Amino acid sequence: MNTPLHLDLLNDEERFSSSPIRMRVMLPLTTSFVTLCLLLWWSLLCLRTHSQAQYKEALQQAITSLTPAHSAVLALRAQEQEYRSIVRQLGLYKNARNPYGKMLSNLAEHVTPTIQLTQLSVPPPQPPAADPANPLFGPTNTFEAVTLHLSGRTGGEHPSEAVNTLLATFRTPAFTNVFRTAVIPKGSFRQDVARDPESREILLFDITCDCVPRRFE
Amino acid sequence: MTLASPIMKWLAPSMIRSVVISVAALVIGLLILFLGALPERTALRVAGDEAHTLDVRLSQMRATVATAEHQKQACDKLMAERDALVTSGVIEPLLGSFSMRGKNLLDPIARQTGFHIDGVRELQPIPLQLPKPAPEQLHYRQPVEFTGQGSYTQITAFITQVEASQPLVALSGLLILSQPQTPETHKAVITFEWPAKGEKIKTDKLPKK
Repeated sequence: MNTPLHLDLLNDEERFSSSPIRMRVMLPLTTSFVTLCLLLWWSLLCLRTHSQAQYKEALQQAITSLTPAHSAVLALRAQEQEYRSIVRQLGLYKNARNPYGKMLSNLAEHVTPTIQLTQLSVPPPQPPAADPANPLFGPTNTFEAVTLHLSGRTGGEHPSEAVNTLLATFRTPAFTNVFRTAVIPKGSFRQDVARDPESREILLFDITCDCVPRRFE
Repeated sequence: MTLASPIMKWLAPSMIRSVVISVAALVIGLLILFLGALPERTALRVAGDEAHTLDVRLSQMRATVATAEHQKQACDKLMAERDALVTSGVIEPLLGSFSMRGKNLLDPIARQTGFHIDGVRELQPIPLQLPKPAPEQLHYRQPVEFTGQGSYTQITAFITQVEASQPLVALSGLLILSQPQTPETHKAVITFEWPAKGEKIKTDKLPKK
């Protein structure tokens, strides 16, 4: 009976795997390498954070040194805006200025001897509509209507013709730069009943002219 | 240790050393990762964002400062424009009264044209429309009523000359009444208005742009 005898004379630590990669060497090597990489990454991050902090400090210093000049320019800008707004507000007023002197002077030349004007009026403007919640914000309307009322007397052979001629004059280019419309209100052409009987042939009349509105624009 | 003991017995001592070193390296690596690198990366990102913000701010400031000369010229030009407008006809009270100022301004013209001023009255100021953006220094319309007498020619000459000599004056009301006793002389109530300096209000109270 030949029984094969197998003798294993190797110690445990002397055993080798058939694999070319030895786990007991590779495992600590790999983990140590990864740890070293992480350490290196952390160091790089620290370095970059430090340089970033220095860059930030430099920026802060530059901002601090530039602040007075910057504030001065901002103040200039605010001042310019304020001047611009004042000029605009006064401009709104200036644009809404309609001269009447020349028209009033011309008017006398067109009144015939048979007409006597007794009253000429331009009523003062109505108080402008303002936002009651914010009265400081000024009026909300941008234009203001202007009306001129004329009252007079006329006599002679054809009193109505003289008034109609005057009315027609108000529709000529000499007046249309000031008047938009000119009408004799209904019922305003009437006899002068208040005076003595001799004056009953005299007619009273009114003319209402809508002037070019004042535009605060 | 009860569980580890059989494994330890089974593993070779060199392998045990290797495992211990590996575990230690792994623990150190994880500590570096979670306590060092990742917080540092977050800090770096925050610092980067802050630096970018500062950089943008600095660039804007430099761009703003670069316009200083141009800004000054524009400001001076507008100031001159405003001053020209103000001196051309924005009125201020004389001895605390706008009627005194109005009389002071128009008396010479009245004398020149023959229109006789009997009385001057200061009317309620009228608010003036606001541009956008609104100024802090507001202006309003200040009407002043002149009552007087003169012929139609004198009255119209007075109005014409006032309008010609005062660039910002506006005729805002007029009443010419013929008087039966004196057909050549009429009674006139003339209202002129000027812009006047109003109050200065704080920016936060002004309408938004």
